Amino acid sequence: MAAMTYLQAISDAMRQEMRQDERVLVMGEDIGVFGGAFKVTDGFLDEFGPSRVMDTPLAESGIIGSAIGAAVVGLRPIAEMQFADVITGGFDQHVSVAGKMYYRQGLPVNITVRLPSGGGFSGGPFHSSNPEAWFMHAPGLKVVAPSTAEDAKGLLIGAVRDHNPVVFLEHKHLYRRVKGDVPEGLYTTPFRARVAREGTDMTIVTYGAMVHTALEATEDLDGASVEVLDLRSLVPLDEEAILASVRKTSKVLVLDEANQTCAAGAQVAALIADRAFEDLDGPVRRVATPDVPIPFSPPLEQAVLPSVDRVKEAARELLEY
Amino acid sequence: MSSSNTETATVDIVMPQMGVSVSEGTIVGWRKQVGDWVEYEEPVCDISTDKIDTELPSPAAGRLAEIAVDVGTTVEVGTLLARIATDARPGEPHASEHDGEREPSAPPTSEAAAATGETPAPSTDAPAPEPGVAAPDGDEGRARRRYSPVVMRMAAEHDVDLAQIRGTGRGGRVRKQDVLAHLEHGAAAAPAAPDPPLHIESPYRPEPAPAPRAAPDAPAPGPAPQPEARVATPVPTGHGEPLSRMRKSIGEHMKRSLELAAHCTTMVECDMSAAERRRALIGTTALPIVARCVVDALREFPALNAWLEGDTFTQHDGVHLGIAVSLGEDGLIVPVVRDAQDLSDEGLGRRIRELAQRARGRALTPDDVRGGTFTITNPGQFGAVAATPIISQPQVAILDLEAVVKRAVVITDADGNDAIAIRPMTMLCMSWDHRAIDGAYAARFLTAVRRRVESV
Amino acid sequence: MAMSTARHEPGENPSAVSEHLTLDDRVALLKYMLLMRGIEERAMNLYRQGRVPGSFYDGYGQEAVSAGATFAMSAQDRLCVLHRDLAAHLIRGVTPARILGQYMGREGGITGGRDGNVHFGDHRVGCVGMVSMLPDMMLVATGMAMAFKLRGEARCAITWFGDGSTSRGDFHEAMNWAGVQRLPVIFILENNQYAYSTPLHHQFAVDPVERAQAYGFPGISVDGNDADAMFEATRQARERALAGEGPTLLEAVTMRMHGHAAHDDMKYVPTEQVEEWRKKDPIDRQEARLRDLGVDTEAVRSAVRATIDAATEEALAMPMPDPATATDRVFYEGEEDVLLGDGNAPWSGHAGGGGGA
Repeated sequence: MAAMTYLQAISDAMRQEMRQDERVLVMGEDIGVFGGAFKVTDGFLDEFGPSRVMDTPLAESGIIGSAIGAAVVGLRPIAEMQFADVITGGFDQHVSVAGKMYYRQGLPVNITVRLPSGGGFSGGPFHSSNPEAWFMHAPGLKVVAPSTAEDAKGLLIGAVRDHNPVVFLEHKHLYRRVKGDVPEGLYTTPFRARVAREGTDMTIVTYGAMVHTALEATEDLDGASVEVLDLRSLVPLDEEAILASVRKTSKVLVLDEANQTCAAGAQVAALIADRAFEDLDGPVRRVATPDVPIPFSPPLEQAVLPSVDRVKEAARELLEY
Repeated sequence: MSSSNTETATVDIVMPQMGVSVSEGTIVGWRKQVGDWVEYEEPVCDISTDKIDTELPSPAAGRLAEIAVDVGTTVEVGTLLARIATDARPGEPHASEHDGEREPSAPPTSEAAAATGETPAPSTDAPAPEPGVAAPDGDEGRARRRYSPVVMRMAAEHDVDLAQIRGTGRGGRVRKQDVLAHLEHGAAAAPAAPDPPLHIESPYRPEPAPAPRAAPDAPAPGPAPQPEARVATPVPTGHGEPLSRMRKSIGEHMKRSLELAAHCTTMVECDMSAAERRRALIGTTALPIVARCVVDALREFPALNAWLEGDTFTQHDGVHLGIAVSLGEDGLIVPVVRDAQDLSDEGLGRRIRELAQRARGRALTPDDVRGGTFTITNPGQFGAVAATPIISQPQVAILDLEAVVKRAVVITDADGNDAIAIRPMTMLCMSWDHRAIDGAYAARFLTAVRRRVESV
Repeated sequence: MAMSTARHEPGENPSAVSEHLTLDDRVALLKYMLLMRGIEERAMNLYRQGRVPGSFYDGYGQEAVSAGATFAMSAQDRLCVLHRDLAAHLIRGVTPARILGQYMGREGGITGGRDGNVHFGDHRVGCVGMVSMLPDMMLVATGMAMAFKLRGEARCAITWFGDGSTSRGDFHEAMNWAGVQRLPVIFILENNQYAYSTPLHHQFAVDPVERAQAYGFPGISVDGNDADAMFEATRQARERALAGEGPTLLEAVTMRMHGHAAHDDMKYVPTEQVEEWRKKDPIDRQEARLRDLGVDTEAVRSAVRATIDAATEEALAMPMPDPATATDRVFYEGEEDVLLGDGNAPWSGHAGGGGGA
């Protein structure tokens, strides 16, 4: 075990996987010489050379499209979007080509697309998004979103090895704020949920950075025993883990940093309504970002992103219900 | 039990004759106050007689116009207890009310008041509730009762009358916890703060002290494993009160048992890890799991599944398991699970729950409490780690389950290596009658129970 | 090689006839074009009989584009095929029966009924099926070429796209990317004069073949109705690619002789334009060429007809897919890698080991 930041764990995952599998390459804008906008691939160019650490043109569709082409002839590309927001430029390749290829013609597309996502630092409308729900809605794409350093490494290695296109959401806010013991060497984390904290009175279902918000908000919430379920994977969605927790606590708060409508949490809420109705002892409550672009100015941004206080308030209401 | 007076549009409620030999009855409590709306057959008060404790359903719908007998007063059969004004209308202020603040559309419902037996504040003093804000405990809050899906399901599965449950949720809403508490304890109220998980499993809970009432007309009230705890419970001082019928009965029985039997107590420590897992799996308390192990062990040690009456020692074929159920400060009663050997742990759990519920509802029949061959008592939730229970005569032993406490224990692995581990432990304390068996037999039995509990 | 933009008017360039084709190669080219046309005519009839669901698209009049180009590719090369390029699939080894089964949504079709009509590619013979978002496949082919270059392999990727595709961003991203990295990829711009109903002058102000130079590689205009010419131009582009000289844009000038799809009566196309192009029919031209060389082309035609008749029977016998499998195969959870495989490469130059791959 080594103590690593979330960012270091992501770097470590790619570095180690590239060392042991020459099919793996990283590609993206400014990831080579500069080491990436967030320095995730710092030092990679020196170790692996320019053909495996590829500085690409500023062309998101090009990055994903060519990653697809490289994948179907045997490489395992990890494509970095400089920010999750810019995936809009690569959406067509991702959704139309990569997502449907295996279903259509039995040809899996082994690409991993890393999306530095999330807000909280005045990134504004184009550097703060959580676009995961778009890809949950697109058949054929797996979507994972780690909340811890250990999971970041294990899920990323798992994504690279998965034969299918995987959208890997790495939360920028966690890059250097979250640190933890990370197993050395190569390991994969299953695309399933984990119980971040056990509890009996209520469940908060969430993922990514919001796991930490949920934990903090309910660390000492009037003595209530609050379970926090870290989904880790949005596609596949660990339905059984969600239902098991609902059966136990009968009260659910679903927490998303993404815009509320049709967010991952909406699917979770729908699942519970569908399959855990008779275990519910209260309404399924949601806390998410309202349907606005993420504003720039700190007071505006703080007003829309789910905060510890908002989660506390919602949790209290539900507990008292 | 009632007579109608059409001229004054009132109906009388009188002390009923509960059995041919009964000549008098005592008012245990009024569920309704003067001015309250009462539905037909809605319980108005609770009475206690020599034979039975029961609730008294209203002979008519209307407003409670008059209460003639105070709580605690014993009156002859046929005595007027109260009057119902049948010309009143729901929502209309009673003649005695002089303001119109009560929300017309929200009369106190029958079920709400009946459920708790509480006496709502006189309506004349009740402020109108704020729109959308239900009073947590008031009858307004429970007037529009809706139940969550899980509560409905649990009620159906366990045949629970939700009206009998006092809700602790917002606006008096019945929550899952309330149903669980009801199932576990049959209590009217669930505590707001949960106890440590390993301790809340006990079906026995202290209740808010209701008015003293007599025990049902049943033989052999159960043992009092922790008499000291009850004696030590602070009693509101200031005036002396006679012991309740039940307390007296328990006391006499216990004293007689101590005089009669040669009491010895043996204790064995038991690791509850496996029972905890099993408990979580089947969704019960640990009690039915241990009970099932006890039943199995009794089949192996039949001299403990026995009666000693004078010089006659009878070993029973079937295990009729007495389970002590606390009735709060009133005392306790020991309903019997008949032919417990035929039930699984889940089945035992259901049966115990059902008996406990009926005990709480004062709805046990004499047959329910008769013929036990072995008794389990389980006051572990209070945190005591050991006790010396008193045998319920004419049985020869009683097993006491105490608190499950996490302890550091030495465990030995398959290779014989010792290690210290944290395990949920409990003490199995059994009092037995040295007239019937010896200490080695008792120890072997308890060890057999332990072995089973640790490997469920 | 110097960058250049070469222009040849269709039908005016006898020198386009390749020196690298044997008589058998030319017969094979005729055969593949006849197969393509015959299968598509059969499929259109099946469509009119209600046996082909959805829509139906064909490449009538454009057979030389895919036949000639694919004929130049080696077994190890990889293809991203467009919807008017049926000959590419046939040359790589997809059987006519599976193609007809594909049109009819049968279980035995290439996609097992999961995708329709010409949206297919048999990955086992190195083909990736197109998507409707044109020209997405330009980038996929670019990525393939990137992998070949990265691994130092003497292989080449090829893709087809239409004149309408040149208006979209992926055209630019792929051209730029391939140019920057000098990737072994051949872009075949299938200029058939119309994108659905939109004529060229509404699509671009500058002929896209001129743009190649701006991306740093040659753009060459080819008679898209001459199989020999298409073969030769592609063969040369492939040589460049394998020599590390980067991509080539080939503009196959041709004409879409049918509507965009079966439901399109093409009334927006002047009749004279169609009649003019009918004279340049690629099959007629190849057949005439072979007859001059003494080949009994009628024998080729009757063999092709027999093949299609048998294939039709086989395809009609294929069961429809099991509805219970409709949600299967969204994700691949197997252990083994599934990648594009090698396809047939019938050109004598490859068969003789001279293909370079």
